[in-house]
Amino acid sequence: MRYPPVTLRGTFGPIVGARTALVALVAVVASLAGACARVRPYQREDLARRSMIADQDAGEARFQQHARGSREGADGGTGEAGGGCGCN
Amino acid sequence: MHRRALAAAAAATLALAAARAARADGEITLRGAYYKERSTKVQQPMIDARLDVGPGELNAHVLVDAITSASVASGAEGEAFTEVRYEHAASYLHRSGWFRLGGGYRFSDEPDYRSLFFTVQGQAELAERNTVLGVALADGSDEISNGTVSGLQTLQADLDTDLVSASVTQVLSPVMVAGVTYDLVMLDGYLANPYRTVSAVNDSGEAQKFDERVPGSRTRHALFGSVRRFVPETGSTVFVGYRYYQDDWGIVAHTPEVRFHQDILRDASVRLRYRYYEQTAAEFYRDRYDAPQQYLTDDPKLDAFRTQTFGVQLASELGLFGVGGKLAGVRVELLAEYVTQTSRFGDAVIGQLAISLPLEY
Repeated sequence: MRYPPVTLRGTFGPIVGARTALVALVAVVASLAGACARVRPYQREDLARRSMIADQDAGEARFQQHARGSREGADGGTGEAGGGCGCN
Repeated sequence: MHRRALAAAAAATLALAAARAARADGEITLRGAYYKERSTKVQQPMIDARLDVGPGELNAHVLVDAITSASVASGAEGEAFTEVRYEHAASYLHRSGWFRLGGGYRFSDEPDYRSLFFTVQGQAELAERNTVLGVALADGSDEISNGTVSGLQTLQADLDTDLVSASVTQVLSPVMVAGVTYDLVMLDGYLANPYRTVSAVNDSGEAQKFDERVPGSRTRHALFGSVRRFVPETGSTVFVGYRYYQDDWGIVAHTPEVRFHQDILRDASVRLRYRYYEQTAAEFYRDRYDAPQQYLTDDPKLDAFRTQTFGVQLASELGLFGVGGKLAGVRVELLAEYVTQTSRFGDAVIGQLAISLPLEY
């Protein structure tokens, strides 16, 4: 049996393309990294604050990822594997 | 990647953690999470532990996931059901000089779904820890069935998941840090919902129910970048993040997020959060199928839609209320979020209550 060809469908369409997003992100990070000074260990007091390390605890972040994974088509960007449940 | 090699590496790092014992500290968190939308309710109590073990850090959690929904197939019509899922996981990250190496596992079990993941990860701290490079590999094996509903043709299926993740964290100043993470996820196996059916017009011109059919593989790309900045003058922390997502099913998603964290007293803080999410539809998704096609789905997650999340979190240590001694450092968190969803799921509310106990041993 032959099926009709698949065509891209999207109500909103992407705001920007993948290449544009990648280039913009790399440019921002590169410019920030180029402008930074080396921070010595004794200057790290504020960097060690809870809000600067991770203002979301592991359990909070995991539950949010779990909820989004069963309600959104996108996943990832956390460095951890999502899924793992029958919430599809 | 080879599953046995990953499992062996993860087991070796956990065994290494168990063999070490030294004076250290850690934290145990008891958390209850609640999610409610029009036809689905989720209650999830969990316990998280983070412990310093020798030169490394051990993380573990156990949780119970109780889901009550109007339908066994998410987003479909049917009789109400309640299902319970159990999950436990542990990981260990060993520090040695300028690098860290570790691994772990995650196991999840429910009546019609069982999942086992192994992960190995490494981090390199460069330039006096101003730059941290990270890489993680994960391999998952899922078993799917449809045994919770009688009258269906028995299904036994598998799903393999591979994750490759790379990250860079860069300290930009004594009050600012940025990070970028790229995740590549490759799924291979059964990716449909065994309970979901799709209505399509058959060759006789009549509407007919078909089992959901989606491709047997999926490759997902996610690129996430963020910047955090602390403002000493006001005790504020600003977080700005953005994720770009694309997969070979034709879904493209954009997710910007802003969080504002404010110290309001010595031991208390408030956090405001806004997240926007927008995605395109999968190439094969149709609101209505006028004829049976190779792929058929009625999954709301594969349609085009957008969500917005508005959240507030209050956190305080018990010392603020006059509690002394070791209990003064116990931290209590209360979180409330409202999620608007233009998908068929409808709007949702999320609540969480957590109590974190600091440990010294």
